[in-house]
Amino acid sequence: MATQAHSLSYAGCNFLRQRLVLSTLSGRPVKIRKIRARDDNPGLRDFEASFIRLLDKITNGSRIEINQTGTTLYYQPGLLYGGSVEHDCSVLRGIGYYLESLLCLAPFMKHPLKIVLRGVTNDQVDPSVDVLKATALPLLKQFGIDGESFELKIVRRGMPPGGGGEVVFSCPVRKVLKPIQLTDPGKIKRIRGMAYSVRVSPQMANRIVDSARSILNKFIPDIYIYTDHMKGVNSGKSPGFGLSLVAETISGTFLSAELASNPQGQGAAVLPEDLGRNCARLLLEEIYRGGCVDSTNQSLALLLMTLGQQDVSKVLLGPLSPYTIEFLRHLKSFFQIMFKIETKPCGEELKGGDKVLMTCVGIGFSNLSKTLK
Amino acid sequence: LSKPSQVGSGQKLGSRNLIDETSDIEDLLKEEEDYKEEKNDPTETSVTEDNEEDDDTREELGGLFRVTQPDRECKHKADSLDCSRFLVEAPHDWDLEEVMNSIRDCFVTGKWEDDK
Repeated sequence: MATQAHSLSYAGCNFLRQRLVLSTLSGRPVKIRKIRARDDNPGLRDFEASFIRLLDKITNGSRIEINQTGTTLYYQPGLLYGGSVEHDCSVLRGIGYYLESLLCLAPFMKHPLKIVLRGVTNDQVDPSVDVLKATALPLLKQFGIDGESFELKIVRRGMPPGGGGEVVFSCPVRKVLKPIQLTDPGKIKRIRGMAYSVRVSPQMANRIVDSARSILNKFIPDIYIYTDHMKGVNSGKSPGFGLSLVAETISGTFLSAELASNPQGQGAAVLPEDLGRNCARLLLEEIYRGGCVDSTNQSLALLLMTLGQQDVSKVLLGPLSPYTIEFLRHLKSFFQIMFKIETKPCGEELKGGDKVLMTCVGIGFSNLSKTLK
Repeated sequence: LSKPSQVGSGQKLGSRNLIDETSDIEDLLKEEEDYKEEKNDPTETSVTEDNEEDDDTREELGGLFRVTQPDRECKHKADSLDCSRFLVEAPHDWDLEEVMNSIRDCFVTGKWEDDK
């Protein structure tokens, strides 16, 4: 860059991804100090280093400086390049950790991104690839990111601690995004789910399905939970099982919940029946929170509203997650944008808890690096 | 369950660790030395003469020294896990009929508004 933009400075390792993603999109450098400065093991962890390497792969001309102890990171973003990329994610975090940021960046590449990610597809910390596929992709479609090449495929499933999973994510590029008006979530017409098991008896998945259904059937009859038992090399390196559930409304809102078994050698064994029931209850909690976007994708929706055309976008959300609240602050510092936040009390209606209506005018971000054909 | 009203009060906490600056990359390490430890470990209480900080949670000692009591929550937040999942802190008891009824109309099987 000819004239260097003012850099933003932060402390601590939390919210690292959103800081680097917003830095890349806005072109403003960031400096992050005191990363675990008082920890016995100070500095960036492997999974964060892997994330920074991934950013380096999909951009062109990024400048990354890390001090000797890894407690300070300086990042001057390059241009989003895209293309065909492969990346081995750290098994300390799920592929979802990396994919969430890729979903924010992929529509703004020079060349459409097609990326192979290897690592942990399902864990207890990050949104799983199954949930992102079922919730984040339909959300991006609302903004006009669509087409045949838009897909997220699970080739191999990998559970922690060994990993060994593989997914392929490809996303078309867009010059501008459409504004959205999502103010009515609509009523839930069906519930779908995926019960998976790897390197354990396939019966586990069936046991999960029965117990989850026993709770959800009290609300709606249209429930179908697929069972997925990958074998051989497609089952990764560690045993485990889990469930993800998605409730779909008549107006195309997707609310999700998920649970995974404890990683091998960590914690007590989880009964598939308990896991199924608890996951069903988590979905009911998510339905209680409600809104037009589920709690994991709130920040993605707000980002794409910010980057939309100069037009009004509205979205009704459930209570904002701590991650989203921080994301709003970051949006303000990187893009000088503030949302109008109106609470919508639930009142006497039997539709769960209070909601929040978020309104903003897009900044008219356009992808100038996209090549014309 | 977090209420939207918490948004406003939390906003003050976070803006504190954000400093807008125009620094060069070259003095990246140099600045690190100059950088003062403003917030110490929450477990220890240190005495400092710095009066410029506008921290409300401080008491005066003999009219000369101020005892810093760093914001625990803020410190904890800066280095905690970077995760987008919104965990349920106070789960409902979904076996109770009353709780189940609270989301009854979110489903197509529930009551519909007159205009639909």
